[in-house]
Amino acid sequence: MSQVFHEIEKKIITSLKDNPKQTPETLGTSTKLSPDQIRRGIEWLKLKDLAIVDESITSLISLGKNGLESFQKGLPERRLLDLLTNGPRKLSDLQQELGSVFGPAIGISRKNNWVEATSDQISVKNAPPLLPGEKTLKQIGTNTFSQEQIDKNDLSILLKRPDFIIETISKAKIITLTDSAKSIILSDSTGAIDVEATVPETFVARTHPLKDTIDEIREIFVTLGFSEIIGNMTQSSFWNFDALFTPQDHPARELQDTFYLDGISAKKIATSEQIRKVSESHKKNWRYFWDINEARKMVLRTHTTGVTIKHLAENKPDEARIFSLGRVFRNEKVSYKHLVEFNQIEGVVVGKDANLRNLMGIQREFYKRIGITKIKFWPTFFPYTEPSLQTMVYNEKLGKWIELFGMGIFRPEVTKPLGITKPVLAWGGGIERIAMLKYGLDDVREFYNNNLNWLRSATKCQ
Amino acid sequence: MPVIELSYSRLQKLVGKVTKKQISDSLPFLGLDIESENKDLVRIEYSPNRPDYSTDFGIALGLQGLLGIKTGAIKLNVKKSNKYKISVRPEVSKIRPFVTGIVAKNGKIDDKTIKQFMAMQEDLHFGIGRKRKKSSIGIHDLDKISFPLVYTAITRNHKFIPLASEKELSISEILEKTDVGKDYGKILENSTKVPIILDANQDTVSFPPIINAAITTVTTKTKNLFVEVTGINKEDSEDMLSVVATILQKAGFTLETVQITGAKNSTAKFEQKKIKINPTLINQMLGLNISTSKIISSLKKSRLDASIKGKDIVCTIPAYRFDIFGPMDLVEEAALGYGIQNLTPTMAPPQTLGQINPVSSQIKSLSQTMVGLGYLESLNSSLTSKRVLYEMTNRNTSKIISVLDSKSQEHTILRDTILPGLLENLSKNIHESYPQKMFETGTVFTLDDPISEKTNLSSISAHKDANFTEIKSILQSALKTGFGIHIDTKTTTHPSFEEGRCANIIVNKKSIGIIGEINSKIIENYKIRVPVVGFEISLSESILKSI
Repeated sequence: MSQVFHEIEKKIITSLKDNPKQTPETLGTSTKLSPDQIRRGIEWLKLKDLAIVDESITSLISLGKNGLESFQKGLPERRLLDLLTNGPRKLSDLQQELGSVFGPAIGISRKNNWVEATSDQISVKNAPPLLPGEKTLKQIGTNTFSQEQIDKNDLSILLKRPDFIIETISKAKIITLTDSAKSIILSDSTGAIDVEATVPETFVARTHPLKDTIDEIREIFVTLGFSEIIGNMTQSSFWNFDALFTPQDHPARELQDTFYLDGISAKKIATSEQIRKVSESHKKNWRYFWDINEARKMVLRTHTTGVTIKHLAENKPDEARIFSLGRVFRNEKVSYKHLVEFNQIEGVVVGKDANLRNLMGIQREFYKRIGITKIKFWPTFFPYTEPSLQTMVYNEKLGKWIELFGMGIFRPEVTKPLGITKPVLAWGGGIERIAMLKYGLDDVREFYNNNLNWLRSATKCQ
Repeated sequence: MPVIELSYSRLQKLVGKVTKKQISDSLPFLGLDIESENKDLVRIEYSPNRPDYSTDFGIALGLQGLLGIKTGAIKLNVKKSNKYKISVRPEVSKIRPFVTGIVAKNGKIDDKTIKQFMAMQEDLHFGIGRKRKKSSIGIHDLDKISFPLVYTAITRNHKFIPLASEKELSISEILEKTDVGKDYGKILENSTKVPIILDANQDTVSFPPIINAAITTVTTKTKNLFVEVTGINKEDSEDMLSVVATILQKAGFTLETVQITGAKNSTAKFEQKKIKINPTLINQMLGLNISTSKIISSLKKSRLDASIKGKDIVCTIPAYRFDIFGPMDLVEEAALGYGIQNLTPTMAPPQTLGQINPVSSQIKSLSQTMVGLGYLESLNSSLTSKRVLYEMTNRNTSKIISVLDSKSQEHTILRDTILPGLLENLSKNIHESYPQKMFETGTVFTLDDPISEKTNLSSISAHKDANFTEIKSILQSALKTGFGIHIDTKTTTHPSFEEGRCANIIVNKKSIGIIGEINSKIIENYKIRVPVVGFEISLSESILKSI
């Protein structure tokens, strides 16, 4: 049988050939492998049907206090016999030299007829070269053995003596080789290793899965001719709401939906002409008292549209495709489908010929590029666009239509006061929703939990 | 968006000659999202700009148009009557100056109809009524009221039996003890007297905008209705009344006028609005090329009237469609009547070249460099908590930027640094294998004029041998490989770092951040069991500045 083995496997097989029944611990001692290497090696051999692992109950033998002393200095009776090698000695001298072991030494030696006593003298009579128990004592030494490895009769002698032998019962894994393993001939000559073996896991350092989705979406829109603009997450209410024709008494502007920054207002929010024209549009169409202090209040942007409209108001392009991408905020309870802070992409097309069907076409192309082809459009409502549509995409896994990006044409009440004269098509929506579809998540919070188990295992290309 | 529950069988009766499937297929194309369905019942979400869709009567009018069963504008037939009069006293002018009303006769009211009326009332109060502040509505049993009525102001010790009560309560008691009083009493807090509608016997009919009198309660036995709307301006009050009048007419009532006089008030006229639109604008905006007659039939399907006048189309808009401001709204009405499903997407070739923002590309390069150095990207909220930002990291809290009334305790203040979030991430991953190396790029906020936003990079490494040398080496390589920037480190102290193991990061003689071994107390706070090293630098003041 020619088979390639890992270095660990080779060592284990070799050791088991010498000593067929072993525990992981004894294998460790004989092979000098670490416990982890032994564990892995045994696992590999088991998978290849080369090793059998049995749970067994073993009695383990090691030396006790008196046993160890006897191992180092000799059995009491051996020490006695040694003192007698040069002829008979006085009982009292021996007592002094042997101390506490004098009693057992004399007792055992006399019982076995190894010595004889005359009045106050002791002399050797008929001592064997190897005393009972000496063989076992030497074998065990400072190590631990399973009972079956030791001569039963010789051990029984020591077992009778106090504190000579410690017997512990242990549940042990006993590793033996299977028959096919016994016939393996190990050869070091090729230098080959087991290329079929399992290996430990390496964790990849990577960008965040949600960032990957954001980058992917950014690149799609760039290839569709859009340029990216960046703006602040903290915005005045003027650009977040007023410039987008959302009246100051509108429910969406209340504390319960929008994060207002505690005690922070902007001194300069826009040019005086922009402020005048926007406020006039509000007064005329919504019939209420427009308050500049309300417009100064700073909020965490509820959409990136404020950034876009400000850009358009400042640049007034005749022809443009721009988008912004970033965090937006809603004062909501966090749940599996709602976050207080999430990412939104939002873009506009400006041009004299821009129309609703073009806008739908851009959406269709975008969805196609992220792998969604089953889409339809439904009418909806946004305060700052007219007409307004939403894209519905079919989710095969859920078996239903779900709402993705919203879109529409900016209302003249939005564009006119800011001096924007060409039609502006706008679209946008949350990115987490798309990423959830991509990564098969049903809890949006996972993106911000930074759970290493997930980050280390989520597949990069979906 | 508001939600309403409807019954298909009721809708079928109201629309006429229509299957359940036709209805469910058409609802989305009126802008009504189906939330859920259960046999005959369907829950739909409607847009806040269409209060007429707060009842099945209003939705039936829309469906009739879209399905071509009945098209064109809905005309209100209001019989002129001298029987019903309200006179307005100047006392109320400074509190809630306007009242208007209508009488609706000979209708049938069952439980389901009452439920629809209540849904409508709630929607009107919340939406165009701005939580009853701008305008509010009361619907009464006409036969329990003796005309003429007077709308005036009265003191807070005035007593009557309010709706859902069995005993007389004073105005003050109503405002202090009842739920509606507590919810809406704030609207009247600036005046000692309150608005009241009294009948010919001096009995209270209504205490707007809070509650009706119990005596006029509408039940299934009621045949004739009196509706009053009060408000802070005439137009909004009449807008609200026009929705109610339209719905009541569709519900089978015949309408009669209520004459209003006194203190700048007058009788509601329910005037239709006329808006001119060029058919070219509609074709241009929708990307279509359809005939003027097709546009006119589309507008009619949206329950408007339209006719040709020269090159233009003149559109007649009923009073209850006050969501229509100008021509662009008519573009949408035409699109809806034409059918959104009939608009096919087209792809116009872009006239522009796309470009990634240079800041985004720089941040992306830096992220890739950090990944190359073995660091995993983490993402945390920029709206975080005092606990994470200050308490756990032992930093002082003098210049915090907090939000008002957050619904979540974990999201109350804007971060001025990223590092504490990364430590929090480590503390949630102590059962995962080490080393753990993470980085994050993101926005940090500081008080300025009013707020300055900058981009930072922070990075941490946690494992049993983590040390200063390791993290300095990482930062040094990241900036050198990524941007050719050389850094120096200069000893400093910082509450989050171990003393003697912390340095300022210097680029061109300016400190751009901090680096070091995290203070062992802080590591303990987070229950992390291995040493942690880290750094945070301002990208806005180093790398991104050069853009």
